[in-house]
Amino acid sequence: MSKPVAAVIVIAAGALGVGGHAAVATAADASAPAATAAASGPTPAPRNAYLYIGYPNNNQTLPAGKPVKVWFGLRNMGVAPKDVKFPNTGHHHLLVDADLPPLDKEIPNDRNHLHFGAGETETTLDLPPGKHTLQLLMGDDRHFPTNPPVYSKKITIYVR
Amino acid sequence: MSRRFLLRALAATSLAAYATLATPLTPAPKNAEVYIIWPGDGTVIEGGKLWVRMGLKGMGVCPKGIERPNCGHHHLLVDAELPAMDKEIPNDRNHLHFGAGETDARIELPPGKHSLQLLLGDSKHVPFDPPIYSKKITITVR
Repeated sequence: MSKPVAAVIVIAAGALGVGGHAAVATAADASAPAATAAASGPTPAPRNAYLYIGYPNNNQTLPAGKPVKVWFGLRNMGVAPKDVKFPNTGHHHLLVDADLPPLDKEIPNDRNHLHFGAGETETTLDLPPGKHTLQLLMGDDRHFPTNPPVYSKKITIYVR
Repeated sequence: MSRRFLLRALAATSLAAYATLATPLTPAPKNAEVYIIWPGDGTVIEGGKLWVRMGLKGMGVCPKGIERPNCGHHHLLVDAELPAMDKEIPNDRNHLHFGAGETDARIELPPGKHSLQLLLGDSKHVPFDPPIYSKKITITVR
């Protein structure tokens, strides 16, 4: 089951116009200490920006074999595609089974860090059975987290 | 002046005239869909302040003035019918523009019944071809 799942995720990412660099999170990245409070990217974001996962809900159990719809919620800030410089905007990155990456570097682009560089505000995921985490992180026109970084609560879902 | 040249010149000018008369609408993907995630049709809101969550499928959001394929920005029609589909969407209390790429809209409504409907606009606030609009819902504020 895990093989077709991987394929679907890659196709999804490709359709979003990400394609390009397939940065694979290295062991060093993964073990790097969570970025300090001061770490952030260069682009300012509103202090009151609020990012959340509108669906699914935390601790929700979802049926295996059915794509999971994920809604990206954002308040007090707007969405713009990658490469677009517009005040108080950014684009969504969905972290799947991943911790927050360093907040002062470009967000990795791989199966665990999905980029929505065309300004998408929802997606569907095919996840293998088991426990998974989802978390949103806003990136600027160059995929760097903003200052302050804008990220959602990390939620856990169960696929069975 | 040869007849062929004359014909070509005529064709060119009529084409130009056509282009200025009818500005072509921005094409949108056929499967694109805009919808109101929340509130649901028939929801009763206490107090009248609410966040409207604006959903978009098969397309992306980008701020006004940004020319990109397959992206647009949300317009929330409050107590209004759909406007003309080949003109700039009006900008007033009944036609709220979200030109900064917002996907959650904070609104406040007086007590009573209200209708909400979403209409996606291109970089110049003109609906797409085909037009992308949501079902019109009704909510009640108490």
